[in-house]
Amino acid sequence: MKTIPGSARQRWRLKLGAALLAVGFAATPVLAQEDVPDVGEQVPITALINASPWFSGFEAAVALYEEQTGNVVELDVTPYSGMLEKARNAVRGAESTHQLLNIDGGWTVEFYEAGTLTPLNEIDPEFKLPQEVFACGETHWWNAAKRWRTPDGGALYGVPPNCNTHMQVYRTDIFEQAKLTPPVTVDDVAVSCKAVQAASGLYGYVTRGERGSIRFEWSPYLLAHGADIAADMENGDYTVTINSPQALTALTKFLDILKGCGPDNVAALTQNDVIQLMAAGKAAEIQVVVAAMSSLTDPAKSVVAGKLGAVPNPIVDGRKLPSPIGNWSLAIPQNISKEQKEAALAFLKWFVSKPAQEAYVEAGGVPVRADVLEPLADQPDYFWVKAYLSNLDGAVSPFGYAEAAEVNEVLGLRLNQALIGELSPTAALNTAAAEIEAIFRKTGRKTGRLPDLAE
Amino acid sequence: MLELRGRSLLLGRALLALSVVFTLAPFLYILATSFKTEIAIATGDVLFDPTLGNYQQVLFGRRSNFVRNLFNSVTVAAVSTAITLTIGLLAAYTLERQQHSRLVSRVFLGWTLVFHVMPTLTLIGPWYLIFRWLDLYNTLTALVLVHVVLNLPLTVWLLMGFIRDIPVELEDAARVDGCTPFQVFRKVVLPLVTPGLIAAGVLAFVFSWNEFSVALTLASRAAATVPIGIAQFAQQFEIQNGPMAAASMIAILPALVLMIFGQRFVVQGLTGGALK
Amino acid sequence: MSVSSAILDDAERPVRAFRRKQLFRRVALLPAVIMLVLLTVVPMLNLFAMALAEISVSRGQTEWVFRPLANLSLLLDDTQFLTATLNTLLFTVLSVSVELVLGIGLALLAASVRRGKGWIRTVTILPILVSPVAIGAMWRLIYSYDFGPLNQILEAFGLAKVGWLSETSIALLSVVVVDVWHWTPLVFLILFAGVEGLPREVIEAARIDGANRRQLLRHIVLPLLAPAIAVAFIFRSIAAFKVFDQIVLLTGGGPGTATEVLSLRLYKVFFEQNIMGYGALLSVVTIAMILAFLLTARFSLRWLEARNA
Repeated sequence: MKTIPGSARQRWRLKLGAALLAVGFAATPVLAQEDVPDVGEQVPITALINASPWFSGFEAAVALYEEQTGNVVELDVTPYSGMLEKARNAVRGAESTHQLLNIDGGWTVEFYEAGTLTPLNEIDPEFKLPQEVFACGETHWWNAAKRWRTPDGGALYGVPPNCNTHMQVYRTDIFEQAKLTPPVTVDDVAVSCKAVQAASGLYGYVTRGERGSIRFEWSPYLLAHGADIAADMENGDYTVTINSPQALTALTKFLDILKGCGPDNVAALTQNDVIQLMAAGKAAEIQVVVAAMSSLTDPAKSVVAGKLGAVPNPIVDGRKLPSPIGNWSLAIPQNISKEQKEAALAFLKWFVSKPAQEAYVEAGGVPVRADVLEPLADQPDYFWVKAYLSNLDGAVSPFGYAEAAEVNEVLGLRLNQALIGELSPTAALNTAAAEIEAIFRKTGRKTGRLPDLAE
Repeated sequence: MLELRGRSLLLGRALLALSVVFTLAPFLYILATSFKTEIAIATGDVLFDPTLGNYQQVLFGRRSNFVRNLFNSVTVAAVSTAITLTIGLLAAYTLERQQHSRLVSRVFLGWTLVFHVMPTLTLIGPWYLIFRWLDLYNTLTALVLVHVVLNLPLTVWLLMGFIRDIPVELEDAARVDGCTPFQVFRKVVLPLVTPGLIAAGVLAFVFSWNEFSVALTLASRAAATVPIGIAQFAQQFEIQNGPMAAASMIAILPALVLMIFGQRFVVQGLTGGALK
Repeated sequence: MSVSSAILDDAERPVRAFRRKQLFRRVALLPAVIMLVLLTVVPMLNLFAMALAEISVSRGQTEWVFRPLANLSLLLDDTQFLTATLNTLLFTVLSVSVELVLGIGLALLAASVRRGKGWIRTVTILPILVSPVAIGAMWRLIYSYDFGPLNQILEAFGLAKVGWLSETSIALLSVVVVDVWHWTPLVFLILFAGVEGLPREVIEAARIDGANRRQLLRHIVLPLLAPAIAVAFIFRSIAAFKVFDQIVLLTGGGPGTATEVLSLRLYKVFFEQNIMGYGALLSVVTIAMILAFLLTARFSLRWLEARNA
């Protein structure tokens, strides 16, 4: 009987209690109480939400909401694999079964373009997101004229329940033993991962190489080298530039790190495998989502708890690799009554308030407000907060256009083939460029592509 | 009936034992995983201190809906299997033995086959709309109806094969003795088709028990079945292997018990009045 | 009077019996037909209509534009479609043939055992009781490169670790093994029931006529099992053609396109990319291919029989 359920939760709560006390929140509960927005009496709503590492935090926040306001929020907890199907079904037909939909950032464009979600200001013209809420890749904004997710001329469509960006997490003990410092530049990563691998026998640097996510892991390298999928998508120029010389450099460096320092099966690694390699003590450094921190720092799940450090993304030519962000967005469908829309918005207003976010983080969520997260950064157990905040600054959410799922599929496959050696990096990019151009042409975008890279 | 002797007996036994081992080994691995801590699973420990934590989390965790899932699955699988067997057997018997015009049986069988071949993905959208319209969304009734239809093709095809092997003379004899068509069916066909009925029943039950996509789309918390509960442990970034293994093991018990019970019921209920 | 009534009675009996038979056979088929009409007609028509259209959603309303040629040209341009088809065929042929051979063999072996049949059956069907999601997750652990029991065994013998799911040449076979483990029980169950249901009189008669075991198997048992084998073959082939869970949970179609199959392609197009028109066309093509596969199998079997006879 090593673990009992809830032990992790209690541990987090204890840690947080101490943390809050140290920072001085706990001394002023009355003040905190005053920050709670008065949302009034509302009709009951049902929220579509996924099982996830941060769900217990969300559940605790909802419980607090119900207790404070007397309003009812029913949670339909759904496996991740069923979220898109359920959200799509909800917005079809006469009346939605759910009044709040948690939508993955990568799926949002489909819902925006179909006009199936309610702009929050249509419900309450006065509503504004508090300043302290993170930009979070801006996936919850939509500018219909530009067909782009941006607050610039865009309408607010939801609230992020988490801003799930990447971190570089490393073993402090291993790096110390090898007398190495965590890498600062991309070239450092390539050198130090080999050095730490030679010194410790652990995998030097592990990240996802599997078809579905390799494109996600590579995109920071691509962007930091000044390249992108297309010329200027935000302003309608979909000329494909993925086969630029800069992109090739980015790919070569990326593959060098993956092949040089990852396991032999890197081309099949998912996020779950990456977390497992670190938790089981087989990896010296990994790239991982912040959502994994609750597991990696939990002694019941990880043999390396207490031995971890985190650093911001590495730099290339003076530019930090922009962190890809895979957040969710809590949004309100069109096909529900006015009262239900108001009730859903009432919960969102409450959820982004400081006390709600404090309850959220206390139960294991990663808060979306700077003034709740920043004070924790000095606590040893929150060693990752500084790196996280640094990566969050300038984090990018990919998939901000209608064809993103198709492009992701094509690009993921070609990159994966380059990783397993079925294609040369040049051929992978040339092939992907031609295929992506065809996708954009089919949907009537203004497109074209750079001349093929020479082998 | 097909007894082996001598060397072939030994060889047969060895092959049988080998296949039991191949079947059991991964199964035992899942069983072991269900008693492991997350750390022991992550590091691939062969020797480990067993824990009941996964089972506690599945059954009594604060978020757990698993007991409800089990109840829903037992209901849906048992009721849908009973209905499938009844209407499937009637259909199979008339199609096989009562000389429907070739058109009727060809259309029926072709239809079931094409339907069975259809990707489930393309079915669930229309079904969602139909059951919303019927006001049966998130009810066990909806799941029962859908599982009956999904299991009908295999049941009918399978039972037709078994009925074909029953000697026609037995039925003719009963008819000469003055039995009505229903009596012939009840007293001659049913007892002889029992093994097929049990096989079809087990399969219908198992498919219903493990059906995921439709249950996911047509049900939310109230009517969610076991596969939905188990899939909760496969999160976006992290698979909770321990609780998932525990949930799978828990789910097997009622299924086994129900199937053994169901078999007894079928055997005793149907062979009782046999005219053999 | 009594004579004439007796004659009448005799004349009426077959008529009444005929009516009863008519009634029974209609009523008996009715429930199945009603269920099928209620729940399959709409999805079927919907699918075929979608395959001819381009579908978009705007303001919550679905808009259909009739453009069959557009979908067809997408199919012709789809480079992954051919790979997916070939992989699917390979997967189907491999897994179904292994499952049939093992399933039939096991059923005959199990039937030859005098005691413990119940146990053998219970043990053998355990795999089909496990939820497919869990099967995927657990076999991923078993195949795990760094922590899995398979590679632990190899290492214990001083052998090199194998990338069961990450090596292009092995990945599809690894998935086949999982499919064989999962679904041989289905074939076994059907065939075991078939063996149990064999008419004893026929076999006894053949034995008395001096047939040896091999002749018995070849000329009596297997022909009698043919309907059950056919059903097992048909339904395993269909399921293997539609294989999805194992692929998604184990390999996601990778590495490269090593395990890309039709259902995965379909899932990506129809569901992830939300291109419903082309997705529906892919479904229709898949349906046609499965039916063609089954018909081919049937005709080659007939041809073989004819040649042997």
